[in-house]
Amino acid sequence: MSDRRRLNGPAGTTSPPVFALSKSSTKSSQKRTRKPNELRKIFLQTGVVPSATGSAYLELESPPESKPGLLNTSSTLKLSCSVHGPKPLPRTASFSPNLQLSASVKFAPFATCVRQGYIRDSTERDIGMHLETALKGVVIPDRWPKSAIEIAVTVLEGEDDQVDGDRIGGVGLFNLLAGCINVSMAALADARVDCLDLLAAGVGAVVPGPGKPFRVLDPASIEHDLILASCLVGYLPSRDEIVEIWSNGSVSNLGRDEDIGFDGLVDSAVAAARGSQTVIKEVLIESLTRTEVGAEKLPNDGMNDVDMNT
Amino acid sequence: MASTLVVPGQILGSTSSHQPGPGTHVYENNILASIIGRSVVLRTDKQSSKPVISVPRPGTNPTGIKSASSLPNVGSTVLCRITRVQQRQVAASILVVDPSPQDVTSYTRLTDDDMQFQAVLRREDVRTHEKDKVVINDMYRVGDIIRASVISLGDERNYYISTAGNDFGVVVATSDAGNAMVPASWKEMRDVVTGQAESRKVAKPA
Repeated sequence: MSDRRRLNGPAGTTSPPVFALSKSSTKSSQKRTRKPNELRKIFLQTGVVPSATGSAYLELESPPESKPGLLNTSSTLKLSCSVHGPKPLPRTASFSPNLQLSASVKFAPFATCVRQGYIRDSTERDIGMHLETALKGVVIPDRWPKSAIEIAVTVLEGEDDQVDGDRIGGVGLFNLLAGCINVSMAALADARVDCLDLLAAGVGAVVPGPGKPFRVLDPASIEHDLILASCLVGYLPSRDEIVEIWSNGSVSNLGRDEDIGFDGLVDSAVAAARGSQTVIKEVLIESLTRTEVGAEKLPNDGMNDVDMNT
Repeated sequence: MASTLVVPGQILGSTSSHQPGPGTHVYENNILASIIGRSVVLRTDKQSSKPVISVPRPGTNPTGIKSASSLPNVGSTVLCRITRVQQRQVAASILVVDPSPQDVTSYTRLTDDDMQFQAVLRREDVRTHEKDKVVINDMYRVGDIIRASVISLGDERNYYISTAGNDFGVVVATSDAGNAMVPASWKEMRDVVTGQAESRKVAKPA
């Protein structure tokens, strides 16, 4: 599985010394300071890659550093997305009256605690597939016959369970996919690809509370020791449609409480998605006003050009 | 002319009072935006038809209803670069769709031919008269920029274009010596430096 085309550094990794932590500092997980129905703050900006048709960058608020320890526990999500196309179908492809959408997710080698290679692994393929199905539910494909569009998401920093330190999984994976969907939607809108609605994704979860389990929106894996069940939805707010759903864990054995059944779990994920959608909408409106201000300046700059219509 | 900033999924009006234009779609008797931009309501000349709501893309003319996207359509004017000249047909890649006179941009942001839509100009579509006497090599050379109209969306690969008509043909060409050429007649262009004439099917200058 070695990549022969690039210089990848030594194959045998050197591991830094890990010292035994004192009793007080072993518990590195932070407590959630937000309200259960409060999302992490989202930074989103469109038009960041000039060569792409549309692009966006998304970053989640990083949790406050509790105390400086050996392990840097402030892990957050940083995603960049670029949309290329519409462009002609590849030579081998057959005729298609619809837009052919393909999405891919790639981790930067430095995205997670454990450095990884350039070869696409199963996690990336899995997230890419889910992202593709979600986005296929929102674009209007018959507006672009005979053309293809490529959506590439690069994970610059993947929120992973730093205590385990290994691979991304569980609720970190859900948060990552939700971020991928949100950043792709912003980039698609920036590329002016026809869409039915502003797709947004959110994650809801059921966590054990002091008395009984309760629901939280946008759970960060580092803030919760145990997550009983979690759910991700891709949601079209104006039509009240779900285009992507992925859930994990079991809620059926949590008692007869109506509030934390599967419906409640999906409802909390939808609420998180609605929260993210307001951010995407604000950012797109803001980018429109910004480009319009830029466009008004342009004719004055071009006044010294030679007039060709003589 | 009401104009507001809209995002996809935003309701712009009802189908009972308006017609959907480019950049919109219809869902449950409502007209919704499908791209971001400013919504524009255009009243049609005819009294009977309803006003059209559209969300124009940047760079497209808001009054040009047919240009719903930047893809070539049947009837749209395109600027192409000739990539291959054969006995029976010419291959070209489409650079600009529906160019407007105030377009001050370069021909394209793309430089890779694989990224551009490909087009085929068949020998019988070169001009309207004496179609059987057309010699392609006297009409177009590789590298010429031509103005043409799209006559068919074609097969899986190519669009079909035509240069039949006075307005269509070569607009930019270089001579064998590598100098720019200027039109001399409808079938001839001249090198600006050497004065050497070369035969081309020339588009009527605007």
